[in-house]
Amino acid sequence: MSFGGKTVIKDLSFTVKKGEIFGLLGANGSGKTTTVRALLGLYQPTAGELLVDGKKYNSEDSSITIGYLPEERGLYRKENVIDTMIYFGELKGLKNPRAWSEKYLKRVGLFDKINEKVEKLSGGQQQKIQLGITIMNDPKLLILDEPTKGFDPMNRRLLMEIIEELHQKGAAIIMITHYMDEVERLCDRALLLKDGTARAYGTIAEIKKEFGGKSLDQIFVDVYGENYE
Amino acid sequence: MNKHILQVAKFEIVRQLKKPAFWAATLLIPLFIGVVYFVSFISAASVDTDVHFDEETKIAITDDAGILSPGAPYVINGDKEYGIEMVKNGEADLYFYIPADFAENRKAEFYHISEGLEIFNTDSGILKLILSQDATTRVSELDAIALTGEYEVVDNKLTKDGADSNALGKAVIPFAIGIVFFMFIALCGNRFLLTVVEEKENRISEMILTSISSKHLIVGKIIAMLTLGAIQIAALVIPVLLLVFAKRDDAMVASILAMVEIDPVSIALSVLLFIASAVLYAGVCTFVGSLVSTARDASSFIGPAIIIMVFPLYFMQMFMTEPNLIVQLFTYFPLSAPVALMLRNGFGTISVPEFCIGIGVVVLFAVIAIRLAVKTFQKNAINFSIVKPKFLRKR
Repeated sequence: MSFGGKTVIKDLSFTVKKGEIFGLLGANGSGKTTTVRALLGLYQPTAGELLVDGKKYNSEDSSITIGYLPEERGLYRKENVIDTMIYFGELKGLKNPRAWSEKYLKRVGLFDKINEKVEKLSGGQQQKIQLGITIMNDPKLLILDEPTKGFDPMNRRLLMEIIEELHQKGAAIIMITHYMDEVERLCDRALLLKDGTARAYGTIAEIKKEFGGKSLDQIFVDVYGENYE
Repeated sequence: MNKHILQVAKFEIVRQLKKPAFWAATLLIPLFIGVVYFVSFISAASVDTDVHFDEETKIAITDDAGILSPGAPYVINGDKEYGIEMVKNGEADLYFYIPADFAENRKAEFYHISEGLEIFNTDSGILKLILSQDATTRVSELDAIALTGEYEVVDNKLTKDGADSNALGKAVIPFAIGIVFFMFIALCGNRFLLTVVEEKENRISEMILTSISSKHLIVGKIIAMLTLGAIQIAALVIPVLLLVFAKRDDAMVASILAMVEIDPVSIALSVLLFIASAVLYAGVCTFVGSLVSTARDASSFIGPAIIIMVFPLYFMQMFMTEPNLIVQLFTYFPLSAPVALMLRNGFGTISVPEFCIGIGVVVLFAVIAIRLAVKTFQKNAINFSIVKPKFLRKR
């Protein structure tokens, strides 16, 4: 993957197995988000593709359900909550997007905001709406870019519950995060990126073993060095 | 049609229809037309611009020039001072003084009691009427008709091969469609421009492009914008047509309606051109919108495109005659083609095959503009995250 002649992702290939939580790790600018955007076709990759169940991913193919919560969060600010959710629900092929949205809003404590304009909601509340939109089509593959960013501990717990539910249903989950404790607690396997190349890849235990049994935090520091910007 | 396109179109249409600003913009022009019509109706009812006087009006004339026939009514024996005095003491409502040098200077004088600001006072015309009526009694009937100008000249225009040419009548509908097109641009231009900027400004692109393709998003949005434009145009045109229908017996409206020549081929092609031009304009605006990341940038980019679009109007004179090279260039240059074709169709300086080719050019470039918009949006959809170069960040 290149931008203006500069290669930002080099020969990167990894597999996420069905039903596992996969951590995509790296410092700011290491290429995590770019990797995901290239996989989803948001960036045109120089080479390579995303295969889901061996099938090339295409946003129009309804047999491949992917949920993506981007790092850059945004919604139709002037629209009300329910209309926004119904719109995305229709696009994602839900049979009854209103019923699903109402149930979700009740669960995350936003049912009283159903007719509020999105711009009237707090940042955390907007994130919950976005999470709802991301998971509303019961995705086989869920990609969460910094999912807990901006969440208070209570909402972080709620988010983790929802992720766990999807995990129980058999969804593969890719989590892009800076929080190593979350990775150790949730992820089955992980990939550590630096300058667009994989520096560590495998189960959490395998990665730790490769780095002499150090904690993920310490491995991160070792890979990037103390003075990495 | 793809269901995603319809879903996007429905969402965009419904959200615009819910906005008070949309209805304000839609109803403003019909409301303005209504107000103008009402004011002109009231004015016409209260202001009588015809020259007339009744039996009770006391008129006095001093004819020092001897222009009136002997024994003509209203002529008094008194001089100018006497006439003015008659006005002052109420013996005369209107007093006209025709001086001895009237033939040389062609000036008469009119005296009456002022009733304040009299912008529409037509009483001074009474003298002209009296003099004209008096003169006609001294000449033959034909001379009288010639002098009063009470006759009509029926205009019959011919083409070079001798057929009846009603160029003005033929131009009415094509030009009316052209005016509606400008209204369409004025009403919808900004919305077209901002339609995809919103996704980028509010950072929705990533969410939406993982649900549908950029092609379906853009096409759905364009369909929505064209539908909304059609609603606004209908709100504008229908009241005007109703007004014309209601006033169809009015002399002026009736004469215009009688003159209008309905050429089904020309009208059908004009409507086709209108639709193709609207799609081209929508495509160009969406392309510009997908190039930039903010509404402000979009506005500054679209300016040159609009200037090129209306450029043929500055050379309108050229479009009235046989087309020269410049006119041909405007006709087939994608951005100027809509206006150039509308002008040539209105002035009757384009053949049907040429017009069809022109419409084909507009359709072709509309498709190219939309394809470019799709490609550009796909490429630039998330350019809000592009990091500034280091040399800019350091400052």
